[in-house]
This record gives sequence, structure tokens and C-alpha cells, in this order.
Amino acid sequence: MRSVLVGIFNLLFALAAAPLLDGILRQVKARLHSRRGPSIFQTYLDLGKLMVKDDQAGANNTIFSLTPIVCFASVLLAALFIPMGGVVPLGFAGDTLVLMYILTMGPLCVCLGGMASGSPYAYVGVSREIMTLMVVEPVMVMSLIASAVKAHSLMLVDCIRQPLGAGPSLSFIICGVAFFLALQPEVAKVPFDQAEAEQEIMEGPLVEYSGRKLAMLKWSFYSKQIVLITLFTEWFLPWPALESLPLRMACTVLKVLVVAALVEVIAQVFPRLKINQSMRYFVSVNAFALSGLMLAVIGL
Amino acid sequence: MTTAQVTMTTAPETLTKAQKILQGIQEKFGVALISAENPRPDRLFLKVRREEIRPITDYVFNTLKGRMVMSIGTDKTPVDGHYEVSYLYALDAEGIALNLKELVPENDPVVPSVAGIVTYANWNEREVYDLLGVKAEGHPDPRRLVLADDWPDDVFPLRKSVPYNFKPPVRDVKPPMRELTEREKKSTIVNVGPFFPTLEEAASFRLFVEGERIIGADYRGFFAHRGIEKLTDNVLDYNQIPFMAERICGICGFVHSACYCMAVEHAAEAEVPPRAQYIRAVMMELERIHSHLLWLGLAAHYLGFDTVLMQSWRIREPIMWLVEAITGNRKTYGLNLPGGVRRDFTNEHCDKILEVIAKIEKEAGELVAAAAEDHTLKMRLVDVGRLTPEDARLLCCVGPTARASGVNIDARKDFPYCAFPDLKFKPAVQHTNDIWGRLLVRAEETFTSIDLVRQMLARLPEGEIMAPVGNIPPWREGVGVAEAPRGECVHYVETGHDNRPYRWRVRAATYPQLQAVPYMLEGMHVADFPIIVGSIDPCFSCTERLITVDRGNANKLRIYEKKDLLAMSRRRTQELR
Repeated sequence: MRSVLVGIFNLLFALAAAPLLDGILRQVKARLHSRRGPSIFQTYLDLGKLMVKDDQAGANNTIFSLTPIVCFASVLLAALFIPMGGVVPLGFAGDTLVLMYILTMGPLCVCLGGMASGSPYAYVGVSREIMTLMVVEPVMVMSLIASAVKAHSLMLVDCIRQPLGAGPSLSFIICGVAFFLALQPEVAKVPFDQAEAEQEIMEGPLVEYSGRKLAMLKWSFYSKQIVLITLFTEWFLPWPALESLPLRMACTVLKVLVVAALVEVIAQVFPRLKINQSMRYFVSVNAFALSGLMLAVIGL
Repeated sequence: MTTAQVTMTTAPETLTKAQKILQGIQEKFGVALISAENPRPDRLFLKVRREEIRPITDYVFNTLKGRMVMSIGTDKTPVDGHYEVSYLYALDAEGIALNLKELVPENDPVVPSVAGIVTYANWNEREVYDLLGVKAEGHPDPRRLVLADDWPDDVFPLRKSVPYNFKPPVRDVKPPMRELTEREKKSTIVNVGPFFPTLEEAASFRLFVEGERIIGADYRGFFAHRGIEKLTDNVLDYNQIPFMAERICGICGFVHSACYCMAVEHAAEAEVPPRAQYIRAVMMELERIHSHLLWLGLAAHYLGFDTVLMQSWRIREPIMWLVEAITGNRKTYGLNLPGGVRRDFTNEHCDKILEVIAKIEKEAGELVAAAAEDHTLKMRLVDVGRLTPEDARLLCCVGPTARASGVNIDARKDFPYCAFPDLKFKPAVQHTNDIWGRLLVRAEETFTSIDLVRQMLARLPEGEIMAPVGNIPPWREGVGVAEAPRGECVHYVETGHDNRPYRWRVRAATYPQLQAVPYMLEGMHVADFPIIVGSIDPCFSCTERLITVDRGNANKLRIYEKKDLLAMSRRRTQELR
């Protein structure tokens, strides 16, 4: 019963609160710019506007049209897997691996949709997205697996409880830092948003999308942002271990806000890197995450 | 006219610089030189035989180290049956503007191309053909440059026989494409423009791309060519042109109107009161400060660094309020007329200027210091968009673009105008040849300008701000040169009858700079494209129309017309005063 309720909460959180989180981040950004900024509900209005706009049908093929739906669905599915307040709604043996696959589905879909749109800007964006995926996904996988090694289990529930009992180990801290560094490209924020770079390739894979399809894609990006940051806080920042579940959930929501704001601040104090520069950077982050995994294997 | 026909009887040691140069040309080319005028010490107008233009160009460009400024094509057929094609050179070291004029008979409108000697002549000669119909023989790339693709092939708008309001029928014509190399044929073509988020003006680049690398580029522009030079035929008179000239550029319009006025004043040999000279120079330097801050913001935006964009524009805004309080407008000041300026500075204005620039000095100092320390910014700018000093010279680049490639030219130093002969400053020069250097040059110039404004206000002369120009006799030539924020801005005026110029020619700094962009793009990444184009600080235009929706009654549109906008602007100006 408890997991069903948490599941429903997760869905609502990922679906309904995601535009609100974006609105809050826009305020954070505006304050750093010395601007007044839009209302925190602006993102809802933007999505609503896109919903009623004409679909210009940038490309007329099935893959192009299905992409937004699959992308949206994959993020909602991921929302059912991520823990909330230490409770995992859809827990089963090996769910850590499944979650990783589901999380990769979204970006791959966007790549397919971009390729199907036939725009040269989209091609450039897709090739950048694939390159980013190739260097960023291993960081996430290694950071998560390190906890699984220590917990001797591939169940999410065991993985997130392990540091609560044993306290943070060296490998756990290293992997937490590595995962945080990978968050920036995963949620497509400067300096690692080359795949969408508006000033260079006009949002790359999204260039031909409009109307409802664009709204769905954008919404799924906002949801993905909240899902990934929730995963990070649940996994790497599980403290304080409060007794009551609602309190723990409220605490998670608060932590998500803080981490998201931190990600936004980083995005505002750097210019965008070039794809080759960011590849070079993430190769070192990979080595860092690998060292964390090694330490976990030898029990540190 | 005080035109001095230079006599060779003068002893060599008493010759002025201009006379020495003239003597050199006379000795070397003799009969090729038809006539020479030296109306001011820093101007030299030569008429040369068109058959000899190539050796003379070679001598002026390579031996005298002249820098080509622009071509000027004039239709003199109603007067003497000739077209005139001129090449204006700047001899920066000597501070002399040298004009080589060829007479082209009406029945044989051909000149030898000099694009093989001066790469920059490429566009200039295409423009002369487009507008005047004088063909450059041996031109490497004689495609259409200025006119629309569907403009008739046999109508040349700057010929006096073509009415200024001639409208050709719309046709469906493909744009002229460059011949591609084998390698370019195999590459992916990424079209950027004519409308692209980071190109606020209409310009089209075809990028030839291998993976992420740009191997070549082709440019097509002039989509918004407005043909204003034609308006001097019989629409605008001497005193109206400054207001048109000010609207050439959306950011640095004041320098255009000042430059035009200087050209007319030179031609008419009119003296401008010192106070007017100083007011012009102060306004030009204020313009440079706000233009460079605008550029810094835009450049950061091209890199996705919007914090710097917002902060730099916030710092810039007080200048816009300041000039609005002085002139009544944020950008189009309407101050200049041949002979002086229309509004005086009050003491309150001077105090306010000092107050605002002190604030800007502090805030921009902090911003620039933070940017100069930024490691990631350097990663994006160092060794990107390289322009070698040799290319900068062949393409005759000017302004910060040239100065970042180690070419030490600055019209304020080389052709001192307005108040600049009295002022002390050092042009900012960098030798990095890349965008980082262009950033450093512009940052340094911002603070130089603040210092220059202080110097000028400390010694602002008293007196009149306008002197009568009187009747302007026809067939005199004047060249106005000024250093705009983007580089040297040049206006040429040949006087005519009916109180209007016979020919008015404008060269903005972006003209040579844009020709350098394909050189800067080669070997760079697609990701570098916006910042490379942005690094030359191209000019942007704006529209003046505004629609608001009354939300109480969603179907009701309110369209602000000219009178509403005017009333709103006036109210805003009143608030600032």
C-alpha cells in the first residue's frame, strides 16, 4: 500500500511539479542576471501555449511523430522506479539495471526523432548527443554500481539503504561527486548542452518540432530533470534518516530544490564548451568514477 | 578653390608629406598621372590613366603600404560623358587619404581589376559593377554582390538615368553560387541564415562541414540594401542627409552622421567651432563605450554565457539614459549638421556624464576583470577565429579586428579629427590574432574612451556650436574619416548643384571585416561559428513597430502608430530630465 502511494506521488511529482521546478530555476537564473524574471508558474503557461499551437509537422514520418510519446512515457516509467523517502514503488530484483536502461531511452529517442527530421542542424545535434551519451552514461553506471557492489545486491532498496547503515565510505563520496558532475550534461545545462545549443544549432534534434510534440518533449525534459535529481539525492544524500515517511519525502523534495538550484548556478557561471572539450573533460570524470568503483570492489 | 597644383620647383626639404608622395608617383609613372589635387595637407586626389591602374595600385599598396578603403563609382556621363571609378587609400603612417580616380568612357565601361593585388578590392569591384555597370576585367569572382538576385541584368541603379524609385518586377531567380572545390562537394552543407537566431541581421553563410570541422564558407549578404546613396540624386539635400546617415547603423549611427558632416565641411572648406568639435567627439566616445559593452554581452550570449550578457547590458544602460537626457533619444541623436551640432552641453550634462562614466568604469572594470580570469572563456576564445596580420592587411581590415591582429591603425591617431589632435591616448593593440585578442582590445578601448571623455570635458572650449557653411560650390571632393566602435568609418562626398551632393559614398567598418570571416572560419568547429561572426561585431538593424494585446478583451489588438510611439518616447524623455 505504501509503495503504491509513493508511486502515485512520484508520478505526480515528476509530471506536475517538473514545470514548477523549472520555473523556480528560471527565478534563480534571473536573480544571477540581476533581472526580475518571470513568475515561477511561467513554464506551465509556456507548455500550455505550445499545446494549443499548430503543429507545423516539420517531418512527416512515424519515428518523428512517435518520439515525443515514447520519450514522455520512458520518463514516467523511470519515475515509478526511483526511490522517494527511501521507498521504492516498483521494487524487484535487478531493478537498478532496468532503471539505467530506461533512463537511456529518452535521449536515444530524441536522437532517432532528430535523425528522422532530416534537418542538418538536427544531425549535428544528434551526433553531439551520442558523443555525450558515450562519455556520460558510463559515469552514471559506475557510480551507481559501486553502491550495488557494497550492498551485494542489485535492488535499489538495498543500494540506497547501504550507506545509511554503514556511513559514507570513500568510494561512496567519490561516486557521489562523479554522479553530480554527470548531472549537468544529463539535464542538458550549460556548459554541457552542446546537443541543444540554441545559438549554434537552434536546439539541434528539436529544431523541427513544434506545437504539442514540442510541448511533450520539453515536458519530458523537465520531468527527466526532476527524476534524475531525485535519484541523486535519494542515492547519495539519504541523510537525515527520519522516522516518518512523509517527513522523509518532504526532506527529499527540499534537497531536490537545493541540488537543482546548484546545477542552475553552475550553468550560469560558465560559457558552453565545445563538444571535443567536454569529451576530454568527461574522460577524466570517467577515470575518477572508475577509481570509485575500484575502491568499492576492494571494500573501501 | 585652394587646390594646389603641386609644382616641382619647390626644394625637396620644404615639401609636405603629401607632396613627397605625389613626387614619387610622378617620377615613377609620369604620363600615367593626368592631374593631382592637394586641397588639404592630408588629402591627395589623383586622376590616373586606367591602363596604368595595376602598376600604380601595386606601388601604392605594396610600396607606400597604403590600405584600400573603398571604391567609388560615379556616373558623370551627363556632365562629361565619363564614368569615374576611384579607389580611396589610407596611408596610415603618413595620415593621408589618397584617391586614385580612373576616367571610363561611356561606350567602353571596363576597368582592369586590381583584386589580384588587393584581395579586398574583390567586393569593391563587384559593387561598382552592380551599381554602376563598370566591369572589372579579370575579376576572380564576378558574381552579383549588392543587388537582389531578381534585379534586371541591364539596370544599374547608380546611373543618373535610372530614377531613384525604380521598382523592377519580381522574378524567380536562383542566387549566384560559388564554384565548389572537390573537397567541398563531398562535405555536408550547413546553411546558416538568412534568418538565424544569432545573426540578428539578414546574412547567409553556406558552411562546408566535415564532421564538426568547417572546411570552407561562402557568404551572400546585402539582403537589406536600402540604396540610400541613390537618394542624393534628387531626394535629400545637404542638411537632410545627416539624419539619414545616422540611421545607417542601429548602434553607432552618430559616427556616420559626424563622418558625413566632416566630408561636407572638408569639401566646402568650412570651419567648425571648437566646442562643436568637442561635443561630437564626446558623443562618439560615449557611443564607443556603450557599443563595446553591447558587444561583450552579445559575444557572451553566443557562447551560452547569459550572465555576462545581462550584467554587461545592465552596466551599459545608464549611458543610454544619459544620451537620452542630452539629445532626447537613446540612439539616434540627430545632433549633427554640416557646420556644427544642434544642441549644446549644459553644465548639468557635463556633471551627469562624469558621474555615469565613473559608475561604468567601476562596474565594467569588475566585469572585465572577472572575464579576463575565466579559464573556460579562454578555452572558447584563444586560437579561435584566427586572422593573420598578412590577411588582415590584404583584406584591409580595420578597427578592433585589425588591432587584435597586430595592425596598429586607429583613425583617431592616424587621421585626427574633431577633438582628437588635442588628446593623449594609446590605441589598444594585441598580437594574438584571435577572438581573445579582439575581446582584450575592446575591453581596453572601453576604458580608454572613459579617459578620453574625461580629458575632453576638462578642456571643453566655450563658444558657438554652429558655424554657417554658406554656399557649397560644385565638383569639390571631401572625405570624412572617423573611428567607429567597429572600426574606421569613411564617407565620401562630391559636391553638386541644387544644394545636394552629386555623389555620396559610405563605407562602414563591417564591409572589409565580413570579407575576412570566411578566412577566420576555416578549420574551426561549427560550434565556433556564432562567436567568430560575432567577433567582428557586425551591425544590426531594428524594426520600429509594436503590437500589444489587451488581455481584458482578448480579441482587441492595439497597434501603436508613429504618433503614439512619439508621445510615449517624449514622456519617457521628460521623466529622465
